[in-house]
Amino acid sequence: MSAPIEISHLSRLFKPRRSLGQLLTRSRPRAETWALRDVSLEVPEGAIFGLLGSNGAGKTTLLKILSCLILPTGGTVRVGGHDLQRNNGAIQRALGFVSSDERSFYWRLTGRQNLRFFGSLYQLYGKALSDRIAYLLDRLELGEQADKPFGDYSSGMKQRLAMARALLHDPPILLLDEPTRSLDPISAKHLRRFIAEELNGREKKTLFLATHNLQEAEQLCHRVVVLSKGRVLGEGSVEDLPPWGKGQEAYVLVVSGLNEIPTSLKNGITWTSLTGGRLRAAGEFGRDGEKLSLLLAEVLRLGGRVVSCSKVEPTLQEVFDRIEEEVP
Amino acid sequence: MTRLRTMVAFFRKDLLEEMSYRTAFVMQIGGILLTVSLWYLIAGFLKPPEGALPEFPGVPYFAYVLVGIAFSHYLWSALSSFATKLRGEQLTGTLEAMLMTPTPIPLIILSSALWDFFMTSVRVVLYLALGACFGLQLRFDSLVAFFIILLLTILAFSGIGILSAAFILYLKRGDPINFLISSASALFGGVFIPAQTLPHHLGELGRLLPITYALSGIRKSLLSGTRLQDLLPEIFALMVFVALLVPLGMAGFTLAVRKARQEGSLAQY
Repeated sequence: MSAPIEISHLSRLFKPRRSLGQLLTRSRPRAETWALRDVSLEVPEGAIFGLLGSNGAGKTTLLKILSCLILPTGGTVRVGGHDLQRNNGAIQRALGFVSSDERSFYWRLTGRQNLRFFGSLYQLYGKALSDRIAYLLDRLELGEQADKPFGDYSSGMKQRLAMARALLHDPPILLLDEPTRSLDPISAKHLRRFIAEELNGREKKTLFLATHNLQEAEQLCHRVVVLSKGRVLGEGSVEDLPPWGKGQEAYVLVVSGLNEIPTSLKNGITWTSLTGGRLRAAGEFGRDGEKLSLLLAEVLRLGGRVVSCSKVEPTLQEVFDRIEEEVP
Repeated sequence: MTRLRTMVAFFRKDLLEEMSYRTAFVMQIGGILLTVSLWYLIAGFLKPPEGALPEFPGVPYFAYVLVGIAFSHYLWSALSSFATKLRGEQLTGTLEAMLMTPTPIPLIILSSALWDFFMTSVRVVLYLALGACFGLQLRFDSLVAFFIILLLTILAFSGIGILSAAFILYLKRGDPINFLISSASALFGGVFIPAQTLPHHLGELGRLLPITYALSGIRKSLLSGTRLQDLLPEIFALMVFVALLVPLGMAGFTLAVRKARQEGSLAQY
């Protein structure tokens, strides 16, 4: 039996269109960009499959190709056994898409009215649709707010309504594009539990989850694929991620007396200025403390004072920044 | 049947949205009342000479211009509604959500304009009803011909509107169809004055526009009570426009969708 999502040698090139001004002046348009290059992967049935990558890695382009909004430049894609080039309708019936974009609803209509409208686009009508909407609103704890305008919803409620919309036609496959991006930690935790326990655990849906959040990937995903600059860097379980993710450590230093970060401190370390004279340093520091000691000594040599130094978790962005430095 | 139910869903959604903007609806009625009153005064002031409306002997200029203005709203509506709706859905992000569903794109576009055509019909009825208060006399002895011409008019104008939406989908802004057709129709289509009265045979350009035949047929049926068999030239001309413009609009739109998917700009604005 074929996997729910099969992607083989997929590529997507974005060619910028020439503006009228560029045509008249015969100037060159912006450079072409490979958003995806030779991407191959299979999402097994019933899995929560993570798509990890920094901004611009190609995650959203890949999800939009799967949901038939963008045509690939090359390669083949099969979703639910259907070829993307031939059978868009069948693919769209097999898929539900949850984006983090709050704009994709009618803000003056109620949550229920929104669901009723989008349900009709999946050829669901009448009592069957009303029952399905009532069931989903109840499952997603939106029943009491169902008849309030969407514009009055909190971010968490909007995200749950987006989830309800994606589930209207009960698809076997769900695409989730950073579903917890705009949620507070408690709402994000509830949504993750719903994804893991209800959608995947109870309903056995196959989930393809694009995320920035390493902890989210660790909590939810059975397998992950890491994208960088449109290429697959690696695939496996989160624990199996290649060592470039593992050697990363980050520290928050509170430093006084330094107005800018000197070049001598940038050796393999990503620096970010935070508020209140704080600096965030991320990179491979090693386990023996030597590199950190040298770094602190350099701060002192340059006339700075280290007020405090605490170890923190590196962000996924910092990990990917490091990876992208290493990838040709 | 499912397509019809989908169209009803679009209509219902637009109705619910429109009902949340009650003031705008009241202001529209006020605007129509003002337009009718203004043209009643202008027509009374201008008093065109005898024979200025050669095809409509005995019909007052107020009746001529009011019917022209009222029914030309179908053209403005077709030209704007497909493109405006599409752009509105792009801006609100709902277009992307719709395009991810298995509903065919042409059905989405057609259904999006239903509410606008309904509201245009309400506006036209209001124009005629208010006109009647100012002395407009309508003939109802050729209603079958009137409805045939009206249906063909809406279809022909929709073809142009869909083509206009195709430009918006691909170019995002700068739709040349809307500008060209609306300007030419206002000038040469006989909305305000008969095209034959324009200097240097400029009125001949009106023969290339569907609005000329639409307004001629509607005026003849509603103002002169002309019978169906005498309106066949207008009906035939409109049928030719429908046969040309609807497939052209659909083909243009399909091409625009394909190009936008290739470029990855389908839901961009």
